[in-house]
Amino acid sequence: MMAGPGLALAVRQTIELARRSVLTERRQLLNVLPGLVFPLLLAAVYSRQFSRALAMPGFPEVDSFLDFILPACIVQAVSFGATAAGTELALDIENGFFDRLIASPVARFPILLGRLAGASLVAAIKAAILVAVFLAFGAEVKGGPAAVLVIMAVAALLVLAIGGVGQVLAIRTGSQEAVAATFPLVFVGIFMSSAFFPTALMSGWFRVVAENNPITWVIDPTRRLVIAGWSTGDAIQAMAVPAAVTLVTVSLAILALHRKLGRP
Amino acid sequence: MAVRPAVEAEGLVRTFGDVRAVDGIDLSVAPGEVFGFLGPNGAGKSTVVRMFTTLLRPTAGTATVGGHDVVSGSGAVRRTIGVALQDAAIDPLMTGNELIRLQSVLHGIPRAVARIRGAELLERVGLTAAAGRRVGTYSGGMRRRLDLAMALVHEPEILFLDEPTTGLDPTSRQALWEEVRRLNTENGTTVFLTTQYLEEADQLADRIAIIDAGKLVREGTPEALKASIGSPTLRIDVQPGSVEAARVALGAFGPDRPAREGRVSIGLEGGAARVADAVRALDGAGVVVEHLELDAPSLDDVFAEATGRRLEGAGDGS
Repeated sequence: MMAGPGLALAVRQTIELARRSVLTERRQLLNVLPGLVFPLLLAAVYSRQFSRALAMPGFPEVDSFLDFILPACIVQAVSFGATAAGTELALDIENGFFDRLIASPVARFPILLGRLAGASLVAAIKAAILVAVFLAFGAEVKGGPAAVLVIMAVAALLVLAIGGVGQVLAIRTGSQEAVAATFPLVFVGIFMSSAFFPTALMSGWFRVVAENNPITWVIDPTRRLVIAGWSTGDAIQAMAVPAAVTLVTVSLAILALHRKLGRP
Repeated sequence: MAVRPAVEAEGLVRTFGDVRAVDGIDLSVAPGEVFGFLGPNGAGKSTVVRMFTTLLRPTAGTATVGGHDVVSGSGAVRRTIGVALQDAAIDPLMTGNELIRLQSVLHGIPRAVARIRGAELLERVGLTAAAGRRVGTYSGGMRRRLDLAMALVHEPEILFLDEPTTGLDPTSRQALWEEVRRLNTENGTTVFLTTQYLEEADQLADRIAIIDAGKLVREGTPEALKASIGSPTLRIDVQPGSVEAARVALGAFGPDRPAREGRVSIGLEGGAARVADAVRALDGAGVVVEHLELDAPSLDDVFAEATGRRLEGAGDGS
């Protein structure tokens, strides 16, 4: 087991590696911007096209479509950054930086957690920026500042959950392309959820898929915080789903790393 | 009583599928020694270094570094060694200062110590002025020097350098050699260095091992290895049609040595005094000599004698 000072050092190493990942992300803003701009564009287009959908029977009580898709927009923005946590690790493996880490006495988990923590922090900031933009365009978060904090936490946790999968792939394949190839899957996952339309108004197999899609389980309670108001139950559900998935995916990533390093 | 070797391998093997990349290597490096591991691309040099630096597990055999087994004592090995791997894997988006700082944290060096030592190291490798710039703007030589500085943040006893000067211009190469020499003489750091450059091995290493196709083929000091070749090499370029005739004519002057197309090489017994006789013999056989040179034994000759081939890129060094 890791001793006290060892743990303190591992935490310091994790923070330093997280710092590196935030730093490098900030220095390639051109790569980060599409992740912010694209969801906003989509939101702008959808809120014009679908504004009349609000009148459909069965559509939740909501002031504007903008409020309705705010969570979807954030999940989408986050998915960009989450994939980066995997591709950047793969890049480290490809170009040998990873070897530098492995050949140093650093413990194993900071190597993974550092990257994830950095990406996670960036996601929370992105979420805050997006909420601010939405508010500027007349959206309203009924749940108040507490709900905004939950939204930021959800964004941060989603990056860990999705990024963990990316890291497993990065470790297994060591190829940026392989990790990047999973991005469309997340994207389709978002479209096959309640992100842009309430499941109550869907039908057939699509509805079955959407209702059993974990992204729906995150989006629905988050959305209620935006359009209906504060509810502790919704806040917990919104955060618990990605937290549970994170536990699984990050464990798998650590396992994959151990297997890779231990392989004779 | 012999001192404990700094680096030691016994029957070291590493396979990738059916390929035996490293095929039973025994070697021992004394503390304070500069050990040159010379071989062509793909000979298995990097695979050996990756095993010594705990990045790769041996398939068979044992390897110890600083007295620690690379498998059971991998943590202790990592604390003992400094590593600068091929291609200087450094993040182009970070600055020299940031990378030094990161490396210090990875080695658990207290912040205050790291700051002082980092500045010293950057000064030492001549990067103080560039330390605040992103590494993406560095030249190849600057990257290698930063890589070296990073490998030294924790003052390692043993330094592994995997092809430290491959792709560098002659001036940058010289500067790096100087630094490695200084580390070795002033700090007593043991250096394990791989290279495909004969001159680099010759200039830097106290002792050399030549690896080819995963096996050690020669080992010794550069002087002893060259002395083992004995006679100097006579190289003669002739017209394409007369290579065979030239070889026959020179047969009496010494053993045939590997040579490139259109050229005949022999170990000229008796040395320079016999050159005139050799030319006369060629003349007598009707062979037109286009170019002639006589070289003192080089590491390339050692390599050629051991493997039957000339070392790739031999032209740029010796």
